[in-house]
Amino acid sequence: MNLEPTDEQRALRATVRQFLAEHAGVDAHVRQLIDDESGTTPRVWDGLADLGATGVLVPAEHGGAGMTMVDAAIVAEEMGAGLYPGPWLSSAVAAPRAIARFGADSEAAELLSGIAAGDRVATVGPLYSVPATLSGDGRVSGEFVVDDARAADVILTVTQHEGGLALYAVETALPDVTRGRLPGIDQTHRCFQVTLDRAPGRLLGTAGAQALSALVDDVLIVAAADALGAAQRLVDMTVDYAKTRTQFGQAIGSFQSVAHLCVDMFEKVELARSGVIHAAWAADEGDGDHRHLAALRLKAFSGQLASVGDTAIQVFGGVGYTWEHDAHLYLKRLLSFSTQGGNADRYLELIGSEFAASVTAGRPQTT
Amino acid sequence: MDFTYSPEAEQFRTELRSWLAANLTEDIVAATRHPGADDQAFELLRKWNARLADDGWAAVAWPTAYGGRGASVLEQLVYAEETTRARVPNPLNIIGINNIAPAIMQYGSERQKLDLLPRMLRADDIWCQGMSEPESGSDLASLRTRAIQDGDEYVVNGQKIWTSLGHRADWCQLYVRTDPDAPKHQGISCFLVDMKSPGISVRPLVALNGDMDFAEVFFTDVRIPADAMLGPLNEGWKVATATLSYERAAAARLYSELQVDLEQLVGDLATARVGDRPALQDPITLHRIGELVTRIKFLEVLCLRSISAMLHGGDAFSTASLAKSVWGECGQKLAALAYDVLGPTASARWADYRLTARALTIAGGTTQINKNITAQRVLGLPRR
Repeated sequence: MNLEPTDEQRALRATVRQFLAEHAGVDAHVRQLIDDESGTTPRVWDGLADLGATGVLVPAEHGGAGMTMVDAAIVAEEMGAGLYPGPWLSSAVAAPRAIARFGADSEAAELLSGIAAGDRVATVGPLYSVPATLSGDGRVSGEFVVDDARAADVILTVTQHEGGLALYAVETALPDVTRGRLPGIDQTHRCFQVTLDRAPGRLLGTAGAQALSALVDDVLIVAAADALGAAQRLVDMTVDYAKTRTQFGQAIGSFQSVAHLCVDMFEKVELARSGVIHAAWAADEGDGDHRHLAALRLKAFSGQLASVGDTAIQVFGGVGYTWEHDAHLYLKRLLSFSTQGGNADRYLELIGSEFAASVTAGRPQTT
Repeated sequence: MDFTYSPEAEQFRTELRSWLAANLTEDIVAATRHPGADDQAFELLRKWNARLADDGWAAVAWPTAYGGRGASVLEQLVYAEETTRARVPNPLNIIGINNIAPAIMQYGSERQKLDLLPRMLRADDIWCQGMSEPESGSDLASLRTRAIQDGDEYVVNGQKIWTSLGHRADWCQLYVRTDPDAPKHQGISCFLVDMKSPGISVRPLVALNGDMDFAEVFFTDVRIPADAMLGPLNEGWKVATATLSYERAAAARLYSELQVDLEQLVGDLATARVGDRPALQDPITLHRIGELVTRIKFLEVLCLRSISAMLHGGDAFSTASLAKSVWGECGQKLAALAYDVLGPTASARWADYRLTARALTIAGGTTQINKNITAQRVLGLPRR
C-alpha cells in the first residue's frame, strides 16, 4: 500500500513546475498568448521537449520517456497549475494513447519520435462525437470539434471503418482541412471546429469501439489531472490571500466562515486528487472496466471540482472578479474540464446505473 | 503506485474470514441494533465479545501480552474492512478498546494493565468514558466536574453526559478538574473509577429515535482512591489525547461501512418505485446514487493515502483530518436518499437511519470543529 510519489516523480513534478514558472508564466506567457491560436511558442515547446514532457508517454524505443499514466498525470497537474495553453495534452497524451489503442505504434513510429522530440505536434478527434467517414479512395470527411488543431501539424482522425474504427493521420496544412477557432470561456484552452472535406489521410491502425472508449478514458483521466492542478494552485493562492488580507483588524482567514470556505475547497481538491491517483493507476494496471469506472467518476466529480473556482472568487471578493486577477483563468480551466465530453450530470447517472446493475446482479463493484 | 496489501495482510484476511464464517451468526448481527436498551441483545453481544477475545480476534492492534495480536497497520485495515463487510457488531467496549486502553497502556501500572485490559477485551467489564458535560461539549477542556484531594482519596462532584453505555458500565475513565486556577488544559486529571462507588447515579439518555445508548452520570461526594489516578496529576489532557500509534487504521471502517450500507440500500431500492417507474430507473435516484458511489470511492482512496503516508513517511494528518467530515456527510446523504425514496414506513431500518445519521457530524467532534482544526493545522490559517 504505497501511494507516495517516487523520488523520480517528485523530480519530474519539480522540473516541469520550475520550467513553466520561469519560461511560461501566467503574465509573461499565458496572458500574452490569449489571441494566439497555437497557444505556445517554439521556445517553450522545445523546452518542454528537452525536459521529456512531450514524449512522456511515447515508448522509449520511439525516442520518448516511456513513462506511465501516473507520471503523465503528474506532468498534467503542473500544466494545469501553470495554466499552460499549449497543445501538450493533445500531442503528448491523446496522440500517443490513440496510436497505442489502435495498435499503430510501428506504423506511426516516425510520428511518435517526432512527437517526443517536439518536432511534430499532433491532436486527436473526434473523441466525443460521431467518427469521420471514409470515401472509397481513402479520403476522410467529417466535421468535429477538436483541441489544439491550429498548433497541430497532424490530426489523428477517428473514422468509421468496416464495422469498427480506424485512425487516420491527416496533415492539417492540406487545403481540404479547415480549422476555425471556437470562442469559449477558457482563454487557456484552444478549441477548434474542424472540417475535413475528402482530405487524404494515412491509415495508422484499426480497432473496435472499445479502443475509442479506452482512449477517451485515458484523455479524461489526464485532463482531470490538469484540472486538479489548476484547483490545487487556486487553493494555495486563496489560502495565502486569506492569511494576508486583513479587514476589521484581522486576517480574513481568521473568520470562521472564510476558513470553512477554504477547507471546503481543500476537501474537494483532496477528494479529486484521490480520484486522479486511483484512475491513473487503473489506467496503467487495472483492467478495462476499472479504468473506465475510474474515468467516469472523475467526470462525475468535475462539477464539484469546478466549484472550487467559484468558492475561490468568493474568498477573494471583488478583486477576484477582475480580469487582472488570475482567479478567473483557473475557474475557466476547471469549467472547461467540467463540460469536456459532457457535463457531470450524465456521468453521475451513468455511475449510479452501473452500480445498481452490479448490485442487482449480485456482483458488487470492488474497485 | 501500489494499491495492493502485503502477503501477510492477505493471509490475515483469509484467516479472519474463515473464523468469521465459522463463528458469526445472524442473531449476533441482529443484536447490534439496540444494545443499550435490550438486555437480551446485550448479553448475546457480551458472549460474542468473550468468544472474539478468547480466539484472539478482539483488539488485533493490541500487544499479545494484553490479548491482542500485534497486528500491523495493513492488518488492522484488513480487520476493519472485513469485520465491517461481514456486519460484525462493534465491540461493546469500543470506546474502551479504542480510547481508554491506549491510555492505560501508556500510563497505567503493569498491575492495572493485566487486571483491566483482558477483562475489557472480553466485555467482562463494561467501560465508559466520563468526558463531556452539559456545559462542556466542543469546548471539552472547560470541563468542571471537580476532584478535591482528601488524604489518600479524592472527592468528586459533578456531572457527565453522552457517556456511552454509562448505565451498563462497571468502570469509568473519568476526567475531572483538579486545579481550577491553572489554564483549563493544564488543570485536568484522569481517574479509573469503579461505577459501583457510592454517590454515583446514572440516568439513560433517550435519543431521538428511542435508542438508549448514552447516559448522564452524576457524581455526589464520590470518594475514589488517589492511586486510581491514571497518568500524572493535572496532566489528564495528555492522557485524553494518547492514542496508540498503531490504532490509526480505524479510518478504514469509515468507507467500508458506507460501501456496505450503499449496497444494501440499492438492493432495497430494487423493488421500490418513484412515480410511475422503478426507482433504479429514475434518473434522479440514479444521479444521487452516482454521487454517493463517487464520493465513497474517493473517500476510500483518501483513507488509503493516509495509511500509505503512515507506512511510508508521508503526511498522514491532512488526509485523515478530512476523512471524518466527508464520511459524516456521505452517511447523511445516504440516509436522506434512503428515506426520500423508501419513505417513513417502508423500512424501520432506513427511517431510523435518517434520524441517527444526524450524529455522524456531531459525535466524536463536530464537523465545524473539525473544519477549524483543518483550517488551522493543515492550511495554516490564523486563529481568532
